[in-house]
Amino acid sequence: MNSFILQTFNGISYAALLFLLASGFTLTFGLMRIVNMAHGAYYLFGGYVGLTIAKLTGNFGLALLAGGLAAMLLGYVSDRTVLRRVGDDHLAQVLITVGIAYIVGDVSLKIWGGDAQKLPLPLFLRGVIELPGGIVYPTFRIFLTAIGIGVGVLLWLIYRRTQIGAAIRAGVDDREMVSATGIHVDRLFVIISALASFLAGVSGVLGGAFLTVFPGAEWEILVFALVVVIVGGLGSLEGAMIGALIVGLLDAYGRWLAPELSYFVLFGPMAVLLLFRPRGLFGSANMT
Amino acid sequence: MTQRRKILIVVLLAAALVWPFVGGQYGTSLMTQIFIFGMLALSADLLLGHAGLFSLCHAAFFSVAAYTTAILQVRYQVPTELAAPAGILMGTSLGLLFGLSVRTRGVYFILVTLAMGYVIWGIGYRWASFTGGDSGVTNVPAPSVGGFTLSTMLEYYYFVLAVMLLVMYVYHRLIRSPFGLTLRGIKSGEARMRSLGFSPPRHLYTAFIVSSFMASLAGVLYAYFNKFVNPVSASLHVSFEAVLMALVGGTATILGPFIGAGIILGLRNWVSSFFELHLAVMGLVFIIVVTWAPDGVIGLLKRFIDRRKAGANHG
Amino acid sequence: MLFKVKSGLAKWVAQAAVAAMAVSAGAAMAQQKGPIRIGVLAPITGPLATPGAEMLNGLKMFWEQNKYTAGGRKIDLVVADTTCNPDQALTQARRLALQEKVHFLLGPLCGHEGPAVAQVSKETGIPLVMDPAGADTSTKWDRMPTVIRTAVSASQIGHPFGDYLYKELGGRKVTFIASDYTWGHEVAGGMMRTFTEAGGKIDKVIWAPLATTDYGASLAAIPADTEAVIAVVAGVARIRLFEAWYNFGYDKKFKLHGGYWLHEDAIPQIDARAVGLISNTVHYVAGIDTPENKAFVDDYARRYKLLPSWFAESSYTAGMWTKAAIDQIKGNVEDRAAFLKAMRSVSVKAPRGPLKLDEYDNPIQNIYITRLQKVKHPILGDQLMNIPVKTYTNVSQFWTYKPEEFLKRGPYKR
Repeated sequence: MNSFILQTFNGISYAALLFLLASGFTLTFGLMRIVNMAHGAYYLFGGYVGLTIAKLTGNFGLALLAGGLAAMLLGYVSDRTVLRRVGDDHLAQVLITVGIAYIVGDVSLKIWGGDAQKLPLPLFLRGVIELPGGIVYPTFRIFLTAIGIGVGVLLWLIYRRTQIGAAIRAGVDDREMVSATGIHVDRLFVIISALASFLAGVSGVLGGAFLTVFPGAEWEILVFALVVVIVGGLGSLEGAMIGALIVGLLDAYGRWLAPELSYFVLFGPMAVLLLFRPRGLFGSANMT
Repeated sequence: MTQRRKILIVVLLAAALVWPFVGGQYGTSLMTQIFIFGMLALSADLLLGHAGLFSLCHAAFFSVAAYTTAILQVRYQVPTELAAPAGILMGTSLGLLFGLSVRTRGVYFILVTLAMGYVIWGIGYRWASFTGGDSGVTNVPAPSVGGFTLSTMLEYYYFVLAVMLLVMYVYHRLIRSPFGLTLRGIKSGEARMRSLGFSPPRHLYTAFIVSSFMASLAGVLYAYFNKFVNPVSASLHVSFEAVLMALVGGTATILGPFIGAGIILGLRNWVSSFFELHLAVMGLVFIIVVTWAPDGVIGLLKRFIDRRKAGANHG
Repeated sequence: MLFKVKSGLAKWVAQAAVAAMAVSAGAAMAQQKGPIRIGVLAPITGPLATPGAEMLNGLKMFWEQNKYTAGGRKIDLVVADTTCNPDQALTQARRLALQEKVHFLLGPLCGHEGPAVAQVSKETGIPLVMDPAGADTSTKWDRMPTVIRTAVSASQIGHPFGDYLYKELGGRKVTFIASDYTWGHEVAGGMMRTFTEAGGKIDKVIWAPLATTDYGASLAAIPADTEAVIAVVAGVARIRLFEAWYNFGYDKKFKLHGGYWLHEDAIPQIDARAVGLISNTVHYVAGIDTPENKAFVDDYARRYKLLPSWFAESSYTAGMWTKAAIDQIKGNVEDRAAFLKAMRSVSVKAPRGPLKLDEYDNPIQNIYITRLQKVKHPILGDQLMNIPVKTYTNVSQFWTYKPEEFLKRGPYKR
């Protein structure tokens, strides 16, 4: 029973990390119809920059900020230089963003080396918390879950309760209409894009703290993020939340109970879901 | 066929025949790889260039076929005349299943094929008791049918060359046939095709199966070439590269995927011997090709030739 | 007319033949004097990047000390990255052998890469000095005349530990956590065999792929009533498992023994919580108390500001070994058979202790069970170091079993 509770917590904390990464990805697609496979590279780059800052200053908060900003800068540069040119061509988008991811991955390898590196944590995040029932749980994971929930609530409030959120929702629903009403769609794009890459960078620092930062991390996490947005529905914020929870828990239980089948447990249902309900759980029907 | 094209074919054929004597052992090995991966790229291009579907699971057919043949030969001592067809059969059967993906379009097709490809990779990697996991299947014996064995790199090179030429010919007939025309019709306007009475899903499904057959054939050839199969052969990276090869060379052509394979494999080989960041170079190639040369090398050549013709006409 | 051309042709052919012979003789002479190219296969990136760096450090240190010379010729190291993946290792090995035309291969590092690279040795006939990859099969079922192992065979370090665990640590019911690849299978397999033969019971074996990032799930699978956990993990898994063990409070629940994990190259990333742990069963640790080893450790420490791990010592000794062989054949590595014969006949004084090759091309050597202690090193200051607490001498890859029996059983599988 203890193992079950433990794995449930593990699944939830991993879901928090996945949500931070997937939320940006899904909104970017929903609003701009851009499939950005470089999202994993933003995670990686943010993680490495955060690692360096954490090692230099010992300040975790600063590392989080630095990671987010570095990823945001990277996202901005990729957007302005190459992504603008391809418009709606998904094939071109995928290939270009994969190309960007390859470049970022290799350059990061050159700068930070091939070892997996642990992000140093401040003392208050390093310990364990004793929970009732004799379960000992790492403080950091609880912290991560709290951040995930916090960001989720904040995003949801903005999305559902503010004017900007309304504009974004309208844009996701019908882009042409929105620009026809005079709302600066371009400005929305920039905001969403920046937010998405910032979150990706922050999640890279958080992920690096308990999973280590290492070459190849960008593909591992991207694959999970893709499952999240597919299950949840491209373009849906609520979908990203529920999807992340489902994926996090499935992964945790799968790896505990049937480690040999763990990829199958995750991707099998996703493939089936895509075949029969491509828009996922919460996606709208007009996405292509 | 134009005179120019005939000459081109003869020249290329002659070059391929004498290559082993020019390129040496390593050059022969590299060119065999280019032929094999060119066939994989061609299989992906049947869907991409002619049907407009960007598939990211072709490495799955390639790998399943390679594993089947390798495991049968190494572990169960099944002779080549059974193991090789079995490999092709397994890969194509997987294509029958994965072909269901043609129910989706656009970005969803890309994502569902990505997911399916990952499932196969995951099985290869985690079902270690059967596939050997990362350790893979080693020491695949040389293919041997009825006492005749292809034991040297040179012999195998010519065999693969022959198979490749056969595949190219059949492919050529296929895309020129009504079937090929229908596919291209679907690519340029599915609704229109439906209104004309065609059934796009059925055509696309058939195209998918043909494509998986070709990828499986390439996979079997790969197993005997590399003599080693491990989950890397099913990775997303291989599927990406297959598409990239078709793009770089020129989609919707026959030579394009092979030219692309030559450029990508040659580049990687050349660059990796003096420069560590070869993945970054690959990434740059992706970006450059997609942004400035979406028609690939063949497209560039065509544009160049057309411009010269136009210049000649005006001059 | 034909005659004239023919005789003119004949003259030309004769002249050309003489010229060709002169050129090739000259080329052969030049090749004799040219550098000896050694193809080094190491994981520079990937989960075993740290041991890979150690491997290169040890090798470079040896050759620098010997001015990159052997048998009267210069030594050229041509390094290729295998990423700890057999497919990459195989591709790179082929490239080194056929394109770079190296004289012999050294490496690879990861256990499961060994057979893949040995395959290339079989295809091309190029000699392979297998170091430190430890896949059992390469010196047993899949032995090859062109392959010699200079480091250790996986189960060779496993067998003594099972004995130690039962007899000296008093282990009776234990759980294993092991890396899910050839090395993990065979090291743990060897441990489990001798442990159960002595009377011990295995509660569970938890396998985790090398690339596993999150050991929470693996730890959650530990049976509640087990006495001790034996860690047999490699590369970055060592750090991740170590962190997870304490993060989830398992140090309060079960005893933890290595096994195989806390080598010197991992020590900089762990901390004082590890002091007092039984850390390793392995054929080399920095704490071996002999003059040769002290000199080696001090040299290494001065150069790299680290203690050497067994990866570093392995390649250092491989360098020593190959140099002795090259010296013996006076630099004529083009004669592959002579080189292999020399490799099988020379003896070296390695930092790890006494070393002798058995008839299956694997070293017979000491295996040390070690504990992590805090020591004060003359050059590096306060350090955690692996100190041998028991030495098993003259351990062969077959332990106390007869080779024929052992071979009949087949390899240890998961």
